[in-house]
Amino acid sequence: MLEAIELTKRYEDGELALDGLTIKVEPGEIFCMFGANGAGKTTTINLFLGFIPPTSGAALVEGVDVGKDPLQAKRHVSFVSENVMLYGNFTAIQNLDYFSKLAGKRGLSKKDYAEVLGRVGLQPEAFDRRIKNFSKGMRQKLGIAIAVVKDAANVLLDEPTSGLDPQSGREFLEILVQMRDKGKSVFMSTHDIFRAKLIADRIGFMRKGRLVMLKTAKELAHEDLTDLYIQYMEQQPGELTVPPTAPAV
Amino acid sequence: MLRDIIKKEILDNITSPKFVFTFLLCTVLILLSVYTGVANYRAEKKEYTAALALNKKNMENQPNYGSLAGIGVKVSKPPQVLGTVVTGIEEAVGRVAPVNIAADPNLIDSKYSSNPVFAVFGALDLMFIVKIVLSLFAILFTYDAIVGEKEKGTLKLALSNEVPRDRLILGKAIGGYISLLLPLLVPLLLSLLFLLIMPDISLSGQDWARLLLIFLMFFLYLSVFFSLGLFVSARTQRSSTSFLVLLFAWVLIVMVIPKAAVVTAGQLRPIPSVHEITAKKDAFLQQIQTEGQKGARDWYTKNQAEAAKDPKAWQDKFKQFLQDYQQELTTKIDENNAALERDYQQKKRAQQDLAINLSRISPASALTFGSMTLARTGVDEFDRFLASVRTYKPIYTKWINSKMGESINFQTGEQNKISLDNMPQHAYEPEWLSRSLVRAIPDFALLIVMIIIFFVGAYVSFLRYDVR
Repeated sequence: MLEAIELTKRYEDGELALDGLTIKVEPGEIFCMFGANGAGKTTTINLFLGFIPPTSGAALVEGVDVGKDPLQAKRHVSFVSENVMLYGNFTAIQNLDYFSKLAGKRGLSKKDYAEVLGRVGLQPEAFDRRIKNFSKGMRQKLGIAIAVVKDAANVLLDEPTSGLDPQSGREFLEILVQMRDKGKSVFMSTHDIFRAKLIADRIGFMRKGRLVMLKTAKELAHEDLTDLYIQYMEQQPGELTVPPTAPAV
Repeated sequence: MLRDIIKKEILDNITSPKFVFTFLLCTVLILLSVYTGVANYRAEKKEYTAALALNKKNMENQPNYGSLAGIGVKVSKPPQVLGTVVTGIEEAVGRVAPVNIAADPNLIDSKYSSNPVFAVFGALDLMFIVKIVLSLFAILFTYDAIVGEKEKGTLKLALSNEVPRDRLILGKAIGGYISLLLPLLVPLLLSLLFLLIMPDISLSGQDWARLLLIFLMFFLYLSVFFSLGLFVSARTQRSSTSFLVLLFAWVLIVMVIPKAAVVTAGQLRPIPSVHEITAKKDAFLQQIQTEGQKGARDWYTKNQAEAAKDPKAWQDKFKQFLQDYQQELTTKIDENNAALERDYQQKKRAQQDLAINLSRISPASALTFGSMTLARTGVDEFDRFLASVRTYKPIYTKWINSKMGESINFQTGEQNKISLDNMPQHAYEPEWLSRSLVRAIPDFALLIVMIIIFFVGAYVSFLRYDVR
């Protein structure tokens, strides 16, 4: 489970990147966070990963305060970034092997890696190819394979579908759904309204560091997300429509 | 985990085009430099042997001791076998020191004086390759070690795991350093093999120890740039910035600081020019010569009456006078020259020491002076050689003066044929390894301190590095 309690981040230059965010992503839930660039989505992920310390509040991963014990918290988190470049001179399997070992997964065979790569939709002929010529979609699949192998209870995704072709995007979403079905807590920051609507259990809108809307998939079933997005992005900070404690589905 | 990080770092480096490029270039340059060094050493050794034989023959062919005193003895400096890897100042400084009654010995006939074009391009020795080319490679291997991973997103991905940052930087440092050494080790081992099998190259146990210490110094020098690269890479947010900063630092360290140190030392501790010293010596020589002629005339005038009484006794007395007087005047010249030379050398040494110590802020200077000391091709070795020649000069002068006095037959005007059998020989003991090592310790220490400073800087910076 991922939990942010009054999580606030003010950078050294005085910019308030995150302002008292309180959310909880339950096991078996996909939480999609929307917002323009600089809204605070990536800051939230960075705080969950312990890359930056919070100014106040706390980020908890499986109940572990990231600020107090970042290494212990990271044990329970998988991360997929927006632009997974990885090591271009390595093959897909070599990349997977290295990051699996960093995640503490030892004793996995080439067959195990091939099975995971196949599961995320990578073609077998690409397994032993150097990834420097991989397309963005193929690299994203490899990125998600790394998260799959780690098999952590929580998954953080930072705009993972940007730049993916429709086919790759669809395969990507299927993997996320499989993760949810396995009981993982999935937090995804995204601009991709259409794909998010397909899989999200809850959706939050952020603006200037504040959570300005939080709704369940059920509540959004008959709403036009694009209109909502525009409406909330134009809203002034402080005009929170829905309390951030909206229950998980 | 550390092992995995090291393994990945090595694999990532050796599969990159820069490794292949570095390996090929290192192999070509290192082997070429050692081959050139060996060829030069063989030529110099041949030249040295020929110079010794020619000098001896030339001396033996002199009709009498007077003409032998005129040409003097030419003391040649033997070439150093480790000049094959560290040429040092061997080519810039003279290889021969003429010793005669009048002039103070100095080294002449350098390779650069016989062919000035060498001075323009300098020597392509192994130290040059390490100092200039390989230090650039060390930068090439590290400028993006941290910041490059940040740009690729792999740093964030790696640190999203339970990986302590200190272990990651340590693994990257060890793996990166091994990757840098790999393309060096093969050509260096081939070079050692080459030195081992070449017939004219004879390395003593002490030479091998010196060679290994020189190689150790090379590795330490490259480690300085490697740590500096890591440090800058952990302080910047873009690899292009890191590369530019490192390139600037490299130019400053390798090119500017050593030259600036010499200029600064020249300004802070000026010394009289060689021409001024020579002019003073010449003026004194002229004064002594005039004094000598007057002294001989005075003696003759004073003792002229005795010549008629007992010509044989007078002749012996005159011989003895000439011998003693010549020796007295030569001693005066020597003492004056020695005093001038001492003063000049002291000032020069003070300026030189200041220049060397100032330049040691740069690891390139520490490498240059340290490896030259170990290879016995540095300034000190030439000073020692020149000092030995200057010690030899009065011994030779005394011998030639006594021979000249003894050999003149005043009745016939003839002089005896010369014999070099009992001529004193110049003795020169090269510096022992222990002494060289003691003198090279400050350079080793400086390099180690720089490595520690840069690595600790990289380590601390990485612990606080913004991976976002």
